[in-house]
Amino acid sequence: MVSRPWQRLSPAGRVLLPLGVVAGGLGVVFLGGVSSGILPNLWSWVYEALSDNLPLLRFVVAATAVLLFTVPTAFVIIYLEMKVIALQNLRLGPNRQGPWGVLASTLHGFKVLAKEDFTPTGADVPVFTLAPVVVYLASVMSFLVIPFAPGLFAQDMNLALLYFFAVGGLGVVGLMMAGWSSFNKYSLLGALRAAAQIISYEIPLTLSVVGVVMLAGTLSLNTIVHQQSGSFLDWYVFRQPLAAVIFFIAATAEGNRTPFDLTEADSEIVAGFATEYSGMRFGFFFFAEYVNVFILSALTVTLFLGGWNAPLDLTPVWQALGAHPGAIDLGGLGVGLLIALLVVPPILTVLLALPFWMLFTRLRFWQALGIGFLCFNALVGAAVLIWAAFSFDAVMGLLWFLGKTYVFVVIFVWMRATLPRVRIDQLMGFAWKWLLPASLANLFVTALAILVIAQVRG
Amino acid sequence: MTAPETKVRSLDDPTMFVDTPATIYDAIPPYPPRTEREAEFYTLRDGEMLINIGPQHPSTHGVLRVVLKIDGERIVDLDPVLGYLHRGVEKICENSDWHMVISHCDPLEYIASMFSEYVPVLAAEKLLDVTVPRRADYIRVLACELNRISSHALFMGWLALDLGGITPILYGFLERDEIVEMLAALTGQRLLFNYMRIGGVNGDLNHEFMSRLGDWMSHALRRIEDSMTLINSNEIFVGRTRGLGRIDRQTALRMCLTGPPLRATGIPYDVRRAHPYSVYPELEFEIPTREEGDSYARYLLHLDEIKQSVHIIDQVLHRIPDGPIMAKLPRLLRPRPGRAWAAIESPRGQYGVYAMSDGTDQPFRLRIHDPSFFNLQSVGLLSPGHLIADIMAIMASLDPIMGGVDK
Repeated sequence: MVSRPWQRLSPAGRVLLPLGVVAGGLGVVFLGGVSSGILPNLWSWVYEALSDNLPLLRFVVAATAVLLFTVPTAFVIIYLEMKVIALQNLRLGPNRQGPWGVLASTLHGFKVLAKEDFTPTGADVPVFTLAPVVVYLASVMSFLVIPFAPGLFAQDMNLALLYFFAVGGLGVVGLMMAGWSSFNKYSLLGALRAAAQIISYEIPLTLSVVGVVMLAGTLSLNTIVHQQSGSFLDWYVFRQPLAAVIFFIAATAEGNRTPFDLTEADSEIVAGFATEYSGMRFGFFFFAEYVNVFILSALTVTLFLGGWNAPLDLTPVWQALGAHPGAIDLGGLGVGLLIALLVVPPILTVLLALPFWMLFTRLRFWQALGIGFLCFNALVGAAVLIWAAFSFDAVMGLLWFLGKTYVFVVIFVWMRATLPRVRIDQLMGFAWKWLLPASLANLFVTALAILVIAQVRG
Repeated sequence: MTAPETKVRSLDDPTMFVDTPATIYDAIPPYPPRTEREAEFYTLRDGEMLINIGPQHPSTHGVLRVVLKIDGERIVDLDPVLGYLHRGVEKICENSDWHMVISHCDPLEYIASMFSEYVPVLAAEKLLDVTVPRRADYIRVLACELNRISSHALFMGWLALDLGGITPILYGFLERDEIVEMLAALTGQRLLFNYMRIGGVNGDLNHEFMSRLGDWMSHALRRIEDSMTLINSNEIFVGRTRGLGRIDRQTALRMCLTGPPLRATGIPYDVRRAHPYSVYPELEFEIPTREEGDSYARYLLHLDEIKQSVHIIDQVLHRIPDGPIMAKLPRLLRPRPGRAWAAIESPRGQYGVYAMSDGTDQPFRLRIHDPSFFNLQSVGLLSPGHLIADIMAIMASLDPIMGGVDK
């Protein structure tokens, strides 16, 4: 039978054999296409079609890149949250899956994928199925306008901020869909809480940003970041401190994070809108939450903390120290480069393996060599990263941006480990009685200051 | 969705059939109302909704089921449904001899089971007219006060957990874990100790217990106070518990509240002082009270009580005499025919047993008065008018143990 040889294949073989068949088939098609002249014609047609629709192509590529970027981001933040909360609770946290448990969240992701996807009786099936998609896409699409580094952004819109709030506000539609279609009273309560909370906090969130927009004179996030370049004193957090605080608080509520996590308050309404969800549909909600945490941190950094700008321009310092990393010309080494590429890796691998081999008697020599190889790769990777960071503005900017953003992510996690949850009436009262007047006052003072300064200067 | 035509059994009453599978999760019982109150409760007015909290819910501390009638987020009325953990302990006790009663009563108050096994022992000793050796009495007090601290530490974490704070419960569990390990060294068990015996205790103090106790005493109060500063004056925590579930003295007395909920209203009633037992008359300690009677006062009262318990343990360790740990008693106990009432101050209030003996080796009747049951009753009085989130804070601050409520 057909299945007999298939079963005798090793797992790797079962992957490689179909891949080989597919590759062979594609090769035959490719050769046939080239020889018959169909493929070049097709290629030129596709090329023309694509170059005619460059903005569309750019959008598709950007959206795909952003979609792919959210998954590792969510994994990293979930792991970070598990580990940081564990340390604050005096626990160990994940420590079994990979070194220091770093694979825990990834494996959680696979587990969620493999779980049964259960639709409860009485649920409104199309709405129930679509809700996680809406919530997840609303988070992902907000990514499109965030500038990660100079020249590294998905879409440069002049209405970026408006787009961000518009798309971010779509998430609540998904939450309402989930809560209403689940046929569960806990879900319904959670969804109604989500709607009330997110819509209420949308107002101070947006109003607090208006001050920044008035200072910057634009809604484009790229321009806002460019205007904060220079030292850290140029960041908007020093000109709009109240707005920064209001924005961060409102962002916490917007992302449904503790102490404003009423929508999924586990001690009251079990899991809120996600009560009836299981499997990957629940996974989408879960992912969306952590993607939201990243996005809100990123927006806080972009608006108030200079985005990808370094706090101080350190280039003169490096130059004074004699470091000219950008000036390394690898081609100038000639044959020496070839020899170095051949000789240095094995020697370094062995050198790095030696201490492990000598210190741990139970390690076999090949295990020590493996560790040495990994160390060598880590070393080379770090070296390349440092070189790239010093040579390219984009890499340096990305590092600064991610560093600042993860500081805020950790603050979100810290708050979750520390604070109890507020009550719904306290939540709404805080939004309408404190945040809204404060953000209006901030707006008024900012406008007045701009006018006065313009008068004095003009 | 297309509902299947077949009828399915109701979850509330398996002898009844309901129309659609979805309605088996409905809070409304499928049978006609049995009482006037039930008829009134299960009649919904405009905008009202019934929602089940429990029996499997993260914050009902066991298997309490409360049917809430809510209007939006506000609770209009509630109907507690008890009995999910009913094992008929009182009846089982009637068919087991006096020694077995101890282990049957053990899991009633499973967070602090030293107390629930102490009471039947005390009742049996009254019926038998036994004098317990003084060393045994001191060991009992020591074990009970340790268990009280472990129970209170857990309570404080739990209250915070029900309000959404996830860290304090782990600090509470750290404290509880040390004490429970200590008691495991003494008794051999971590949860259900089965340590009290009629006429004494099961084993003498041993080296491991004493060394663990010494370790713990060196940092006991400091660490509990330190870890609880995380929520003691936390704005959100105080904002959610202060003024919530306020009981005045008359209501508290009328509702038969005992323990911390009663003392939080300002009435210094503590069985250890009001009706002293064991060696408590010889020990110095205060009865902390608070005036406010709200959830926050109940929470802070637990911290004060932990301090007093540490004080008691300190005195016990200084005064504990040498001597036997068991009275001389026959293997088969046949108490005189008669009745005895014994009560102690458990972490949740006055824990009593009313025992009747007919002269055989088995109790004729053993009525267990569990404070959780009486404290829990006031939820119905306190909750209406509050929000759904508040019922968690009220329930957690009354600190019921469902093992004792359902018996």
